[in-house]
Amino acid sequence: MLGLCLILLISFREQPFFQRVRLITQDAVSVLYTVAASPVTAGRAVVSFFKSHRALRDENSRLQQENFLLRGQSQRLAAVVAENSRYRDLLNSAGSLDREVMVAEIIAVTADASRHILLLDKGSRHGVVQGQPLLGAEGLIGQTIMVGESTSRAIMISDSTHAVPVQVLRSGVRGLAEGTGEIDRLMVRHIAATTDIVEGDILVTSGLGGLFPPGYPVAEVVSIENVKGSAFAAVLSRPMVKLDRGRHVMLAMDVATKINDLGAR
Amino acid sequence: MARRGTWLIVITLVISLILQVVPVPFEWRGFRPELVLLVLFYWVLALPQRIGVITAVLVGLSIDFLDGFAIGAAGAGASIGSLIILLNYQRIRQFDSLQQTFLIGLVLAIVLLVTQRLHGLLGYTADGLEFLYSVPISMVLWIPIRNFLRGYRRYYEIA
Repeated sequence: MLGLCLILLISFREQPFFQRVRLITQDAVSVLYTVAASPVTAGRAVVSFFKSHRALRDENSRLQQENFLLRGQSQRLAAVVAENSRYRDLLNSAGSLDREVMVAEIIAVTADASRHILLLDKGSRHGVVQGQPLLGAEGLIGQTIMVGESTSRAIMISDSTHAVPVQVLRSGVRGLAEGTGEIDRLMVRHIAATTDIVEGDILVTSGLGGLFPPGYPVAEVVSIENVKGSAFAAVLSRPMVKLDRGRHVMLAMDVATKINDLGAR
Repeated sequence: MARRGTWLIVITLVISLILQVVPVPFEWRGFRPELVLLVLFYWVLALPQRIGVITAVLVGLSIDFLDGFAIGAAGAGASIGSLIILLNYQRIRQFDSLQQTFLIGLVLAIVLLVTQRLHGLLGYTADGLEFLYSVPISMVLWIPIRNFLRGYRRYYEIA
């Protein structure tokens, strides 16, 4: 029996056939998660149903203001994007990303406390592919790792097995932001002790590795410690997105087509 | 296979699996009790002639599928835990509540340790002993769960 488990352990990791089995179970398992979460979901529905008229009006006016502001800003954005793409043409580099996204809802966080894995309510039927970046309102959240028919699993950047190539926005210094297993800490690797990096620097995706599109905010540097005798500084950063808050995430769809192209080739 | 009450046993295990994934605040996830393993251990202890290592592996595998990675790690852990109970069930039944609580805690810790080490071997792990935080809470829950399932078993005459 023990041997069987060990064989399963290895084969699920390596064999393509078992990968497919795992994808099928993905949807079945998410049903369990949905059932388990249903009291919470129902409770939320009841609360929102009985939300007072006044609170709704307040929220509405606040959202209208916010919408107005954002629209104003996005007008400028359009101009900037156009300008940017002209510059890119001049430089002969690849076209900029039109940031098409799809909103997904978080069904659950997986039970194992040592992992930071989310269950999302969108799957291959909706065009989700493996390795697709997951964004929040403020920046990068993670990427999809297992895509079922109608649900998928995504790993967060704070998971201890995840790393994302980053760049300091101010100075362009590159590094690797590794998850630590703590929800509010990322370790930035490969930053030489003499590098131009200060507390408060914003880290954005560098686009190296080809998976994450460049320019998405990832984290903010919170502490830099120069360890004596070490060639590298111990840089800690805090993810821009509050990873344990919120119920919705955005999946970057333009990247999905790119990943599909890579797979086809 | 169609012995009396098979479905009744399966139902308790499925309910415990659902309870296992009830959403809790992110920071509290580490303290989630191992309900599935407790229910499994109860059945192994109560009906060792029916519920043994094979059931334990199936239950462990379903935990693995819930977590979605390293399929087989919890299966291996649960099989070892249930084997310990199977080999000692007559002695464990004679223990008083306190002794049982500690013994179940010990077996749970062994199960979690095996699972954690297998995760570690495959490279999926965070360091530290945080994975053991759920053991004390599970120990506290053992006696209520045992008493509840004992009542359930006698009411439906599962043997």
